[in-house]
Amino acid sequence: MWAALEALGFNTPVFLAQLINFIILFGLLYLVAYKPIMRILDGRSQKVRESMEQTEHIKQQAERAEAEVARQIEAAGKEGQELVARAARTGEEIKKQAQQEARQEGEALIARARAEIQHERDEAIGELREEFAGLTIMAAEKVVERSLDKKAHRELIDRVLEESDVLKRG
Amino acid sequence: MSEPKKKGCLGCSFPLVIIIGIVFLGLVVLAVVGGAIGRELFGDLGLSFLEIDKPHPELPPEVVFQIFGFPITNSIVGAWFTIVFLVVFSWAVSRRLKLIPGRLQSAFEYILGSLYDFCQSVAGEVNGRRFFPLVATIFLFVAFNAWLSLIPGFGSYEVLNPEGHHMHLFRGANTDFNLPLALAFVSFFMVLFFGLKTMGFRYLELYVNFRQFVKGLGQLVRGKLKAGLSGVFLGVIDLVVGGLEFLSHLIRIVSLTLRLFGNMTAGEILLLVTAFLIPWLFALPFYGLELLVGFLQALIFAGLTLVFLTMATAGHGEEAH
Repeated sequence: MWAALEALGFNTPVFLAQLINFIILFGLLYLVAYKPIMRILDGRSQKVRESMEQTEHIKQQAERAEAEVARQIEAAGKEGQELVARAARTGEEIKKQAQQEARQEGEALIARARAEIQHERDEAIGELREEFAGLTIMAAEKVVERSLDKKAHRELIDRVLEESDVLKRG
Repeated sequence: MSEPKKKGCLGCSFPLVIIIGIVFLGLVVLAVVGGAIGRELFGDLGLSFLEIDKPHPELPPEVVFQIFGFPITNSIVGAWFTIVFLVVFSWAVSRRLKLIPGRLQSAFEYILGSLYDFCQSVAGEVNGRRFFPLVATIFLFVAFNAWLSLIPGFGSYEVLNPEGHHMHLFRGANTDFNLPLALAFVSFFMVLFFGLKTMGFRYLELYVNFRQFVKGLGQLVRGKLKAGLSGVFLGVIDLVVGGLEFLSHLIRIVSLTLRLFGNMTAGEILLLVTAFLIPWLFALPFYGLELLVGFLQALIFAGLTLVFLTMATAGHGEEAH
């Protein structure tokens, strides 16, 4: 067994030397290769993760902003509609009021006119009556002057009165 | 895609290709005639400058010099060469690592990153990280031992040793039986270490497990004959299985060592023999082959170590019950 190993080249000092070589290489590579490379790989993946998170964050923010804008637009639209509706309503009210006022005014005007007409008519009737009374008196004077008989006198007065009644009623 | 129609072949104009082909053929013919085979067939045709000494490979490495009586063999010097190369290269790159890598750093990161991913894909996230330095060191050491020893002149550089003999200063460290053996021992002890660290002394139960045996004995003493006998029987089986498990771990050392040593030594001898039989061009394809073999052996050694480590820490003690 031992002889076979030696024939293959086994040699305890050389074996130990190669073992130590490996351990030295392990130590040195750990210092100059693995540690820095792990650090940089970890750093990079961290960075990638961070930037992805940041991207996600920004995306969310953008979405939120977009939603906000949409909401505001909608609100503004609603407000505008409301304004228009209110304006229309106000216009309608104003129109109605104006109509009513106009009607009232018209009615008042008509009433006043009517009252005035009535008044003028009454006045005219009054004047007419005065005139008629004057006429009657004149007629009576004339009759008196002509010395009518009593019966004719009466007929005359009745007729005048009847006529004046007709006048008053008309 | 409208590429302009290429004239010629392999990016050269036809006359150039033909000239290269003729030179190539001439070299092959010259090499065949002048090499060992040609000399046997045609006798000496005055091409003695092509002669190469008949290779006489020796398995034990040669002692180049001694430090305080400690023999330094050419394979140790070869290993130092690899160590210096790897450490200097790594240091040159890692001295100024940047988040956005340059070309050299990209290559460096690619090599180590692939090894790291390999470790994590086999052993998982956490264990992959723990095993990575060991596995990567084994891979890099074996691979670069193999590749650097393929540099022309590496194996033929000679010095005078203290006794006045001509000695090869460098020798591919993988072809020294001691290096694969040392790596296999490292692998074995690291498996043991990580096994113990992860599972505590329960890990040893894998190899020496008296529990079932003692339980069976206890049942026998208490007079439960049937249960006791079967318990003892199962206990004996457990002990035998443990022994086999232990034996398989020892055999791993042997197989790891001999696989690497055999492949690399055979490769070295193959190159020497092809260069001896037909000098110059004939050895070229075998160089390519040896590049591949060096990579594969490194991957196999590192990969097997990784798998053993993973098995040792995966807690398959529970699976057995």
